[in-house]
Amino acid sequence: MSVDVIQLGLIVGAFTWAFRFAPTRLDLANDRPEGLFDRFLSATGPAAIATLFTASVLPMLKPGLGDQAPLAMGMLAVIGAHFWFRSTAIATLSGAAAYGMTIFVLG
Amino acid sequence: MPSSSPSAGFRSGLTASLPITLGYLPIAFSFGVAATRAGLGAAEAVFLSLVMYAGASQFLALALIGTGAPLAVSAVTLIAMNLRHVLYGPALLKQAGADARKKHAWAWAFGLTDEVFGTTLGVLARGQHRFSERFMFGIGLGAYASWVMGTALGAFAGGGALEGFPTLDAALGFMLPALFLALLLSVLRRAQLPLIAVAIGTTALVSWLVSPVAGIFSGMVAGAAIGMIRAPRATKGNTA
Repeated sequence: MSVDVIQLGLIVGAFTWAFRFAPTRLDLANDRPEGLFDRFLSATGPAAIATLFTASVLPMLKPGLGDQAPLAMGMLAVIGAHFWFRSTAIATLSGAAAYGMTIFVLG
Repeated sequence: MPSSSPSAGFRSGLTASLPITLGYLPIAFSFGVAATRAGLGAAEAVFLSLVMYAGASQFLALALIGTGAPLAVSAVTLIAMNLRHVLYGPALLKQAGADARKKHAWAWAFGLTDEVFGTTLGVLARGQHRFSERFMFGIGLGAYASWVMGTALGAFAGGGALEGFPTLDAALGFMLPALFLALLLSVLRRAQLPLIAVAIGTTALVSWLVSPVAGIFSGMVAGAAIGMIRAPRATKGNTA
Protein backbone atom coordinates (compact mmCIF):
# COMPACT_ATOMS: atom_id res chain seq x y z
CA MET A 1 0.00 0.00 0.00
CA SER A 2 1.14 3.53 -0.75
CA VAL A 3 2.36 5.49 2.28
CA ASP A 4 0.55 8.59 1.00
CA VAL A 5 -2.78 6.77 0.86
CA ILE A 6 -2.26 5.42 4.38
CA GLN A 7 -1.35 8.86 5.74
CA LEU A 8 -4.27 10.54 3.97
CA GLY A 9 -6.71 7.93 5.24
CA LEU A 10 -5.49 8.14 8.83
CA ILE A 11 -5.40 11.95 8.98
CA VAL A 12 -8.83 12.49 7.40
CA GLY A 13 -10.30 9.56 9.32
CA ALA A 14 -9.07 10.96 12.64
CA PHE A 15 -10.50 14.42 11.97
CA THR A 16 -13.80 13.00 10.72
CA TRP A 17 -14.13 10.90 13.88
CA ALA A 18 -13.32 13.96 16.00
CA PHE A 19 -15.95 16.04 14.17
CA ARG A 20 -18.54 13.35 14.85
CA PHE A 21 -17.59 12.59 18.45
CA ALA A 22 -16.29 15.78 20.11
CA PRO A 23 -19.55 17.78 19.84
CA THR A 24 -21.42 15.00 21.68
CA ARG A 25 -19.45 16.03 24.80
CA LEU A 26 -21.31 19.35 24.86
CA ASP A 27 -23.46 19.67 27.94
CA LEU A 28 -26.95 20.30 26.59
CA ALA A 29 -28.71 19.64 29.89
CA ASN A 30 -28.73 23.27 30.94
CA ASP A 31 -29.89 24.60 27.59
CA ARG A 32 -33.32 26.19 27.90
CA PRO A 33 -35.93 24.17 25.95
CA GLU A 34 -37.03 27.25 24.02
CA GLY A 35 -33.55 28.73 23.82
CA LEU A 36 -31.86 29.79 20.61
CA PHE A 37 -29.34 26.93 20.66
CA ASP A 38 -32.09 24.40 21.30
CA ARG A 39 -34.04 25.69 18.31
CA PHE A 40 -30.89 25.73 16.18
CA LEU A 41 -30.23 22.06 16.95
CA SER A 42 -33.86 21.06 16.39
CA ALA A 43 -33.77 22.66 12.95
CA THR A 44 -30.36 21.21 12.03
CA GLY A 45 -31.67 17.75 11.11
CA PRO A 46 -34.24 18.72 8.48
CA ALA A 47 -31.91 21.43 7.16
CA ALA A 48 -29.03 18.96 6.84
CA ILE A 49 -31.11 16.36 5.00
CA ALA A 50 -32.54 19.00 2.63
CA THR A 51 -29.02 20.27 1.98
CA LEU A 52 -27.58 16.82 1.28
CA PHE A 53 -30.47 16.00 -1.04
CA THR A 54 -29.87 19.23 -2.97
CA ALA A 55 -26.12 18.66 -3.15
CA SER A 56 -26.63 15.13 -4.48
CA VAL A 57 -29.14 16.22 -7.13
CA LEU A 58 -27.34 19.31 -8.45
CA PRO A 59 -24.70 17.38 -10.45
CA MET A 60 -27.49 15.39 -12.12
CA LEU A 61 -29.27 18.43 -13.56
CA LYS A 62 -28.97 18.66 -17.34
CA PRO A 63 -29.39 21.74 -19.56
CA GLY A 64 -32.46 20.64 -21.59
CA LEU A 65 -35.95 20.23 -20.13
CA GLY A 66 -36.36 16.83 -21.81
CA ASP A 67 -33.11 15.63 -20.24
CA GLN A 68 -34.69 15.98 -16.80
CA ALA A 69 -37.12 13.08 -17.41
CA PRO A 70 -35.08 10.41 -15.54
CA LEU A 71 -34.57 12.70 -12.56
CA ALA A 72 -38.25 13.69 -12.52
CA MET A 73 -39.42 10.08 -12.78
CA GLY A 74 -37.01 8.98 -10.09
CA MET A 75 -38.17 11.68 -7.68
CA LEU A 76 -41.85 11.03 -8.42
CA ALA A 77 -41.29 7.34 -7.74
CA VAL A 78 -39.66 8.12 -4.38
CA ILE A 79 -42.52 10.43 -3.40
CA GLY A 80 -45.20 7.97 -4.56
CA ALA A 81 -43.60 4.97 -2.85
CA HIS A 82 -43.07 6.94 0.34
CA PHE A 83 -46.73 7.88 0.63
CA TRP A 84 -47.89 4.41 -0.47
CA PHE A 85 -45.62 2.19 1.63
CA ARG A 86 -44.23 4.59 4.28
CA SER A 87 -40.90 2.80 3.91
CA THR A 88 -37.59 4.54 3.30
CA ALA A 89 -36.06 1.39 1.79
CA ILE A 90 -38.86 0.78 -0.71
CA ALA A 91 -38.99 4.48 -1.63
CA THR A 92 -35.24 4.53 -2.26
CA LEU A 93 -35.26 1.39 -4.41
CA SER A 94 -38.35 2.55 -6.33
CA GLY A 95 -36.67 5.84 -7.15
CA ALA A 96 -33.48 4.19 -8.37
CA ALA A 97 -35.46 1.66 -10.44
CA ALA A 98 -37.61 4.39 -12.03
CA TYR A 99 -34.53 6.48 -12.81
CA GLY A 100 -32.71 3.56 -14.45
CA MET A 101 -35.79 2.39 -16.38
CA THR A 102 -36.45 5.89 -17.74
CA ILE A 103 -32.89 6.09 -19.02
CA PHE A 104 -33.27 2.65 -20.58
CA VAL A 105 -36.58 3.57 -22.29
CA LEU A 106 -35.28 6.91 -23.58
CA GLY A 107 -32.15 5.20 -24.83
CA MET B 1 -44.96 0.87 20.14
CA PRO B 2 -41.38 1.90 20.69
CA SER B 3 -39.40 -0.97 22.21
CA SER B 4 -36.79 -0.25 24.85
CA SER B 5 -35.12 -3.51 26.02
CA PRO B 6 -31.32 -3.53 25.54
CA SER B 7 -31.13 -6.34 22.96
CA ALA B 8 -34.17 -4.98 21.15
CA GLY B 9 -32.32 -1.71 20.87
CA PHE B 10 -29.42 -3.26 18.98
CA ARG B 11 -31.73 -5.33 16.77
CA SER B 12 -33.88 -2.30 16.04
CA GLY B 13 -30.78 -0.42 15.05
CA LEU B 14 -29.74 -3.16 12.67
CA THR B 15 -33.24 -3.24 11.18
CA ALA B 16 -33.26 0.54 10.82
CA SER B 17 -29.97 0.31 8.92
CA LEU B 18 -31.62 -1.69 6.11
CA PRO B 19 -32.41 1.27 3.84
CA ILE B 20 -28.90 2.60 4.41
CA THR B 21 -27.45 -0.81 3.58
CA LEU B 22 -29.43 -0.94 0.35
CA GLY B 23 -28.11 2.47 -0.55
CA TYR B 24 -24.54 1.93 0.64
CA LEU B 25 -23.83 -1.41 -1.05
CA PRO B 26 -24.12 -0.12 -4.62
CA ILE B 27 -22.50 3.23 -3.86
CA ALA B 28 -19.59 1.58 -2.06
CA PHE B 29 -19.35 -0.88 -4.94
CA SER B 30 -19.06 2.12 -7.27
CA PHE B 31 -16.35 3.55 -5.02
CA GLY B 32 -14.40 0.30 -5.15
CA VAL B 33 -14.67 0.26 -8.94
CA ALA B 34 -13.67 3.94 -9.19
CA ALA B 35 -10.71 3.38 -6.86
CA THR B 36 -9.28 0.64 -9.06
CA ARG B 37 -9.90 2.82 -12.12
CA ALA B 38 -7.88 5.54 -10.37
CA GLY B 39 -4.98 3.16 -9.93
CA LEU B 40 -5.46 2.13 -6.29
CA GLY B 41 -5.15 -1.46 -5.20
CA ALA B 42 -8.06 -3.33 -3.64
CA ALA B 43 -6.39 -3.16 -0.21
CA GLU B 44 -6.00 0.62 -0.48
CA ALA B 45 -9.65 1.07 -1.47
CA VAL B 46 -10.86 -1.03 1.46
CA PHE B 47 -8.44 0.75 3.81
CA LEU B 48 -9.93 4.15 2.86
CA SER B 49 -13.45 2.85 3.54
CA LEU B 50 -12.37 1.34 6.86
CA VAL B 51 -10.68 4.43 8.30
CA MET B 52 -12.24 7.39 6.47
CA TYR B 53 -15.82 6.12 6.22
CA ALA B 54 -17.18 9.22 4.52
CA GLY B 55 -18.52 8.55 1.01
CA ALA B 56 -18.29 11.91 -0.69
CA SER B 57 -14.85 12.55 0.78
CA GLN B 58 -13.61 9.20 -0.44
CA PHE B 59 -14.69 9.92 -4.02
CA LEU B 60 -13.05 13.34 -3.78
CA ALA B 61 -9.92 11.68 -2.37
CA LEU B 62 -9.69 9.60 -5.54
CA ALA B 63 -9.84 12.75 -7.65
CA LEU B 64 -7.16 14.43 -5.52
CA ILE B 65 -4.91 11.38 -5.60
CA GLY B 66 -5.45 11.18 -9.37
CA THR B 67 -4.37 14.79 -9.88
CA GLY B 68 -1.28 14.30 -7.74
CA ALA B 69 -2.28 16.93 -5.20
CA PRO B 70 0.13 17.26 -2.22
CA LEU B 71 -0.84 15.31 0.87
CA ALA B 72 -1.41 18.43 2.99
CA VAL B 73 -3.68 20.02 0.37
CA SER B 74 -5.69 16.83 -0.02
CA ALA B 75 -6.03 16.35 3.73
CA VAL B 76 -7.17 19.94 4.40
CA THR B 77 -9.70 19.80 1.53
CA LEU B 78 -11.18 16.53 2.75
CA ILE B 79 -11.22 17.62 6.40
CA ALA B 80 -13.06 20.82 5.45
CA MET B 81 -15.58 18.76 3.52
CA ASN B 82 -16.42 16.75 6.65
CA LEU B 83 -16.79 19.75 8.96
CA ARG B 84 -20.57 19.53 8.60
CA HIS B 85 -20.54 16.45 10.84
CA VAL B 86 -20.02 18.61 13.94
CA LEU B 87 -23.73 19.39 13.95
CA TYR B 88 -24.99 15.81 13.93
CA GLY B 89 -24.17 14.55 17.44
CA PRO B 90 -25.70 17.47 19.38
CA ALA B 91 -28.77 17.53 17.09
CA LEU B 92 -29.41 13.81 17.66
CA LEU B 93 -28.90 14.03 21.42
CA LYS B 94 -31.25 17.01 21.54
CA GLN B 95 -33.89 15.01 19.65
CA ALA B 96 -33.32 12.08 22.06
CA GLY B 97 -34.31 14.31 24.98
CA ALA B 98 -34.30 12.49 28.33
CA ASP B 99 -33.12 9.26 26.65
CA ALA B 100 -29.86 10.85 25.51
CA ARG B 101 -26.81 8.83 26.59
CA LYS B 102 -23.21 9.37 25.50
CA LYS B 103 -21.04 7.09 27.65
CA HIS B 104 -19.91 5.17 24.56
CA ALA B 105 -20.28 8.02 22.10
CA TRP B 106 -16.56 7.81 21.33
CA ALA B 107 -17.35 4.50 19.60
CA TRP B 108 -20.82 4.93 18.04
CA ALA B 109 -20.08 8.46 16.86
CA PHE B 110 -17.51 7.00 14.45
CA GLY B 111 -20.47 5.72 12.42
CA LEU B 112 -22.43 8.97 12.45
CA THR B 113 -22.54 9.48 8.69
CA ASP B 114 -25.06 11.67 6.83
CA GLU B 115 -27.34 8.70 6.24
CA VAL B 116 -27.07 7.23 9.74
CA PHE B 117 -27.82 10.67 11.18
CA GLY B 118 -30.80 11.24 8.86
CA THR B 119 -32.26 7.79 9.38
CA THR B 120 -31.87 7.90 13.18
CA LEU B 121 -33.48 11.32 13.27
CA GLY B 122 -36.42 9.96 11.25
CA VAL B 123 -36.81 6.92 13.54
CA LEU B 124 -36.81 9.12 16.64
CA ALA B 125 -39.13 11.68 15.07
CA ARG B 126 -41.70 9.04 14.12
CA GLY B 127 -41.46 7.48 17.59
CA GLN B 128 -40.50 4.09 16.13
CA HIS B 129 -37.76 3.66 18.72
CA ARG B 130 -36.35 5.57 21.65
CA PHE B 131 -32.73 6.65 21.56
CA SER B 132 -30.24 4.22 23.08
CA GLU B 133 -26.55 3.63 22.59
CA ARG B 134 -27.29 0.02 21.58
CA PHE B 135 -29.57 1.32 18.84
CA MET B 136 -26.74 3.55 17.65
CA PHE B 137 -24.33 0.58 17.60
CA GLY B 138 -26.87 -1.49 15.65
CA ILE B 139 -27.58 1.06 12.96
CA GLY B 140 -23.93 2.03 12.79
CA LEU B 141 -22.68 -1.54 12.42
CA GLY B 142 -25.17 -2.38 9.65
CA ALA B 143 -24.23 0.72 7.67
CA TYR B 144 -20.46 0.35 8.23
CA ALA B 145 -20.40 -3.35 7.30
CA SER B 146 -22.30 -2.71 4.07
CA TRP B 147 -19.99 0.19 3.17
CA VAL B 148 -16.81 -1.81 3.67
CA MET B 149 -18.26 -4.94 2.03
CA GLY B 150 -19.52 -2.97 -0.99
CA THR B 151 -16.10 -1.36 -1.39
CA ALA B 152 -14.36 -4.73 -1.29
CA LEU B 153 -16.74 -6.22 -3.85
CA GLY B 154 -16.26 -3.26 -6.20
CA ALA B 155 -12.50 -3.19 -5.78
CA PHE B 156 -12.13 -6.91 -6.48
CA ALA B 157 -14.60 -6.72 -9.41
CA GLY B 158 -12.28 -4.16 -10.99
CA GLY B 159 -12.54 -0.99 -13.04
CA GLY B 160 -14.64 -2.40 -15.89
CA ALA B 161 -17.28 -4.08 -13.73
CA LEU B 162 -20.19 -1.79 -14.67
CA GLU B 163 -19.18 -0.92 -18.24
CA GLY B 164 -21.50 -3.53 -19.73
CA PHE B 165 -24.49 -2.39 -17.65
CA PRO B 166 -25.06 1.34 -18.29
CA THR B 167 -28.69 1.27 -17.09
CA LEU B 168 -27.72 -0.38 -13.82
CA ASP B 169 -24.82 2.04 -13.48
CA ALA B 170 -27.23 4.98 -13.90
CA ALA B 171 -29.77 3.53 -11.44
CA LEU B 172 -27.04 3.06 -8.83
CA GLY B 173 -26.02 6.68 -9.34
CA PHE B 174 -29.51 7.82 -8.27
CA MET B 175 -29.51 5.71 -5.10
CA LEU B 176 -28.10 8.43 -2.85
CA PRO B 177 -30.40 11.27 -3.98
CA ALA B 178 -33.34 8.85 -3.66
CA LEU B 179 -32.30 7.95 -0.11
CA PHE B 180 -31.95 11.60 0.92
CA LEU B 181 -35.34 12.48 -0.61
CA ALA B 182 -36.99 9.56 1.20
CA LEU B 183 -35.36 10.66 4.47
CA LEU B 184 -36.48 14.24 3.90
CA LEU B 185 -40.07 13.10 3.36
CA SER B 186 -39.94 10.99 6.52
CA VAL B 187 -39.06 13.95 8.78
CA LEU B 188 -41.03 16.60 6.89
CA ARG B 189 -43.54 18.76 8.81
CA ARG B 190 -45.42 21.82 7.58
CA ALA B 191 -43.68 24.11 10.09
CA GLN B 192 -40.30 23.18 8.60
CA LEU B 193 -41.08 24.20 5.01
CA PRO B 194 -39.47 27.68 5.31
CA LEU B 195 -36.20 26.36 6.73
CA ILE B 196 -36.09 23.55 4.15
CA ALA B 197 -36.69 26.05 1.34
CA VAL B 198 -33.89 28.26 2.66
CA ALA B 199 -31.53 25.27 3.04
CA ILE B 200 -32.21 24.13 -0.54
CA GLY B 201 -31.93 27.64 -2.01
CA THR B 202 -28.73 28.47 -0.13
CA THR B 203 -27.11 25.16 -1.07
CA ALA B 204 -27.90 25.64 -4.76
CA LEU B 205 -26.79 29.28 -4.83
CA VAL B 206 -23.53 28.86 -2.89
CA SER B 207 -22.66 25.65 -4.77
CA TRP B 208 -23.06 27.57 -8.02
CA LEU B 209 -21.22 30.72 -6.88
CA VAL B 210 -18.49 29.21 -4.67
CA SER B 211 -18.19 25.42 -4.42
CA PRO B 212 -20.29 22.37 -3.58
CA VAL B 213 -18.51 21.94 -0.23
CA ALA B 214 -19.25 25.54 0.76
CA GLY B 215 -22.82 25.04 -0.48
CA ILE B 216 -23.42 22.07 1.81
CA PHE B 217 -22.12 23.77 4.94
CA SER B 218 -23.81 27.11 4.33
CA GLY B 219 -27.09 25.42 3.39
CA MET B 220 -27.18 23.55 6.69
CA VAL B 221 -26.29 26.59 8.76
CA ALA B 222 -28.73 28.89 6.91
CA GLY B 223 -31.61 26.41 7.25
CA ALA B 224 -30.90 25.80 10.93
CA ALA B 225 -30.61 29.55 11.52
CA ILE B 226 -34.06 30.11 10.01
CA GLY B 227 -35.40 27.42 12.32
CA MET B 228 -33.71 29.19 15.22
CA ILE B 229 -35.16 32.65 14.57
CA ARG B 230 -38.67 31.44 13.84
CA ALA B 231 -41.20 31.28 16.66
CA PRO B 232 -40.36 28.43 19.07
CA ARG B 233 -43.79 26.83 18.61
CA ALA B 234 -43.29 26.58 14.87
CA THR B 235 -40.01 24.72 15.16
CA LYS B 236 -40.95 22.60 18.15
CA GLY B 237 -43.46 20.67 16.10
CA ASN B 238 -40.82 19.72 13.63
CA THR B 239 -39.63 16.32 14.66
CA ALA B 240 -41.46 15.46 17.83
